[in-house]
Amino acid sequence: MSVGPKLWNDFFKGGRLACARLISAVENDPDALPEILDRILPAQKGGVRIGVTGPPGVGKSTVTAALARRAVRGGHAVGVLAVDPTSPFSGGAFLGDRVRMQELGGDDCVFIRSMASREGHGGLSPATPYAADVLDAFGLDRIFIETVGVGQAELDVLDCSDLVILVLQPGTGDIIQALKAGIIEAADIILVNKSDLQGTEALLDSLRFLMDIAPVRKGRSLPSVLDASALQDRGMDAAAAEVERLIEDCVGSGRYREKRRSRLEQEIRSAIQKELWAGFSTLTGAEEDIRAAAEKLLTDRGSPYAYIRRASARIRIELVEEGASRVDKE
Amino acid sequence: MSTKNRELWEKRYEGSGLRDADFTSLSGRPLQPLYAPEDLGEFDPDARLGYPGDYPFTRGVHPSMYRGKMWTMRQFAGMGTPDQTNARYRFLLDKGQTGLSVAFDNPTLYGRDSDHALAAGEVGKTGVAVDTLADMERLFTGIPLDRVSTSMTINAPAAWIFAMFLANAEKRGIGFGALRGTLQNDILKEYIAQKEWIFPPEPHLRLITDLMAFCAAEVPQWNTISISGYHIREAGSTAAQELAFTLADGFCYIEHALAAGLDIEDFAPRLSFFFNAHLDFFEEIAKLRAARRIWARAMRERYGAKNPRSWLCRFHVQTAGCSLTAQQPEINIVRTALEALAGVLGGCQSLHTNSMDEALALPSEKAVEIALRTQQIIAYESGAANVIDPLGGSYYIEKLTNDLEAEAERYFRKIDELGGVVKAIEQGFFQREITRSAYEYQMALSRKKKFHVGVNEFVNPGQALEIPLLEIDEAVERDQIAFLRRTKAERDNGAVRDGLNALKRAAAEGRNLMPPLLDCARRYATLGETSDALTEVFGEYREQPFY
Amino acid sequence: MAERRIKVIIAKPGLDGHDRGAKVVARALVEAGMEVVYLGLQQTPEAIVRAAVEEDADVIGLSILSGAHMSNFRRVRELMETAGLGDRLLTGGGIIPTKDQERLKEMGVAKVFGPGDDLMEIVEYIRLNARRASG
Repeated sequence: MSVGPKLWNDFFKGGRLACARLISAVENDPDALPEILDRILPAQKGGVRIGVTGPPGVGKSTVTAALARRAVRGGHAVGVLAVDPTSPFSGGAFLGDRVRMQELGGDDCVFIRSMASREGHGGLSPATPYAADVLDAFGLDRIFIETVGVGQAELDVLDCSDLVILVLQPGTGDIIQALKAGIIEAADIILVNKSDLQGTEALLDSLRFLMDIAPVRKGRSLPSVLDASALQDRGMDAAAAEVERLIEDCVGSGRYREKRRSRLEQEIRSAIQKELWAGFSTLTGAEEDIRAAAEKLLTDRGSPYAYIRRASARIRIELVEEGASRVDKE
Repeated sequence: MSTKNRELWEKRYEGSGLRDADFTSLSGRPLQPLYAPEDLGEFDPDARLGYPGDYPFTRGVHPSMYRGKMWTMRQFAGMGTPDQTNARYRFLLDKGQTGLSVAFDNPTLYGRDSDHALAAGEVGKTGVAVDTLADMERLFTGIPLDRVSTSMTINAPAAWIFAMFLANAEKRGIGFGALRGTLQNDILKEYIAQKEWIFPPEPHLRLITDLMAFCAAEVPQWNTISISGYHIREAGSTAAQELAFTLADGFCYIEHALAAGLDIEDFAPRLSFFFNAHLDFFEEIAKLRAARRIWARAMRERYGAKNPRSWLCRFHVQTAGCSLTAQQPEINIVRTALEALAGVLGGCQSLHTNSMDEALALPSEKAVEIALRTQQIIAYESGAANVIDPLGGSYYIEKLTNDLEAEAERYFRKIDELGGVVKAIEQGFFQREITRSAYEYQMALSRKKKFHVGVNEFVNPGQALEIPLLEIDEAVERDQIAFLRRTKAERDNGAVRDGLNALKRAAAEGRNLMPPLLDCARRYATLGETSDALTEVFGEYREQPFY
Repeated sequence: MAERRIKVIIAKPGLDGHDRGAKVVARALVEAGMEVVYLGLQQTPEAIVRAAVEEDADVIGLSILSGAHMSNFRRVRELMETAGLGDRLLTGGGIIPTKDQERLKEMGVAKVFGPGDDLMEIVEYIRLNARRASG
């Protein structure tokens, strides 16, 4: 499925359906991704991605909506990508974040899209960063990416966000889980939501203690610890102000640029790895071969390294001049 | 009984072939093929059963039950304009109905006027539209309110609808003390199942306790809440969930009223309940008996009520709407009859039987007459009303009653762990339980583990519908809006404004809201104006949905 | 090519709060591998179609038990056309008399379902009829 000129035209004229269809394209058609990014990346306008993560039930959607509202008031055009887990059994997904952001929905400066995590394991869909790119090119300059942080797996959101807000709530032992994942040190803001509940002070104390003993992060200050009640709309002005402050800092310190460079490197690296593997496996029938070898190793109780050494020894890599035809690797 | 005989029977039972079926109740409860004395174990009839009218009331709330007074035949009705509904009420009373039950349309249920933007297309469609006192006047024209008890099925704006009802009685010279009836007024089940709310829980609960206090003093014969399980069941819960969640709501209201300083003996005797009568005949009877026993024990032991009238779980029953089919609708008459019989054998105080066409539309005159006659046949022909609690002592029924009670107690503990009903609602506990049960039942139907005759079995494909259906004329909305505009033009708008301001002040200052609501009603303030005024003080509720 | 998941919006327009059917269907669709955006209660037709645009939904399913189906379906259908979603599937369920079902079909609403319709049939119908614009 390729993206036609009419769709591009509508998109660059600000057509919301065209934007939505482009996001669907990056979700459903990885083959079209290169051609899409070819046009999207140059059109990006410097949008900031703000990740909102945390355990289930802490009120991420409400927090996101409250921050988004304030961003709109501050004159920004806002996007929200709300990611929910795909069921590993059925492959389907309940996308239930949008419904918690009702008041945000009617504004023309806001674009909300739900996404299923699909084959992603880190809380995000592999297409999420590209969807954010589309929204950026569409003209949105504050893009919230909301996802469930499932303990070890918050890492995806760290990779694709310029800023990460970890939302916790008092009284449920979140802090231990977050500790294990290392997300606490990786976050830029730790927001204790539902601060009207019991246990808020205790949690804030624990967090501040953690900040006291945390190792220094290169080029970044420690995360700010805030408390608020998004539902009651308390403390959110301070949170929004802190977000803007950190954004300024992120751009000014060069971290914004560095993050993008790192992403591009990763994109190139992984694409080339895919190429290499694709070439290798078609040449040698690697998949079936490897399976047969593994089967035998299991029976013989052997180690795979002999096989690996033999296979690797047969690889010779040659780089040809740009423009010349490619010779099969052996 | 002899274990040797039992073993013999068990062998022969297993030896004979069994049908390929599930043998579970409608709620999915596994059932034994037989219940015998050994299944009851240590059964103390004095403690578990008692006599009718005596603690723990398992066998009935009155000493004489239907021998003393037949249950009230109270058909829920309402459609179109108040004039049309008034005509239906007089038709029903004429046909032998003994109490009125008012069904309101969606806009009214949500506290909105007929000309509200969201009301478009919904005025008068699922009940009667009531915007002001003028509509109340039309609704009850020619009906002796001091001789006919009136039940009003309304929740979020119950207090100000009730104020209009009172203002109407007042205008007709009927003293509040003579008024008998019930307000559903059960906001907790709205958050759980029916979803008709305006404000967050606390302000609604406060309105409920205000109304209780007011009625204790001024309208002593009025039942101030009908704590409902019907809707919870219709939303897809099991029998045990219906039982547990309803009674838990009841406990929450009790605790709220006590915290507000009311004396339990002042309001408890006026609480009533509303249960569903579903298809599984025996499970429903046991559920109703268990309800009486659980409530009596809680009221006496947990809340320390001393007056026996405070221990009573009096209830209205409605046959299950969700059991009706659009396919082969005439057979709904049979379903309703069986469900109604279960309600009667379960000892209800009043009963509504659904009409056969209710899966398709509001009931026609013919259909509602059959529904009423169904009750009359049960009452006067079947003999079911001759003997009190006729299934008491059945091993099956007593075991089932015990089991449902135990399951309810487990739910109560779970709800306590979550911090009580309001906290459990906020955490989506009830909603998730109900959605799960609803889904499991639907899947069971899909897999033909459970049956719905005419729908997934014994189907008549391509059958055309022959029943005359009730259609609500599009003119209803126009007429109702025109009437509303006239009423607003003819009233003293300055007085209305003053009344609403006084209401807002009382709301902000924590005073009992019934007197200012009554005042607003007298001045022909509209339902929507009153809701808006209170929303300014209390805020609006937005659901955080749970699955 | 990543497997295409059918995206469905389930919403209840107007003032009706009976969401048992909507929730059960939503869940069945998820179990059948679809991605379901559940919009919940008291939705205006405008909000529903707006969401359908942003979500690039293949299907809009309305649940209406209040009797207000004609006006709601009509409005949603109109808005879908204007927004460029004219080729998407508009379906739903609730209490909708046969006569009205015919009128809805003429309006461009697909088959609608009622109480007693088999859950699996509804899922299959949506799976087969969810349409997409191409290109």
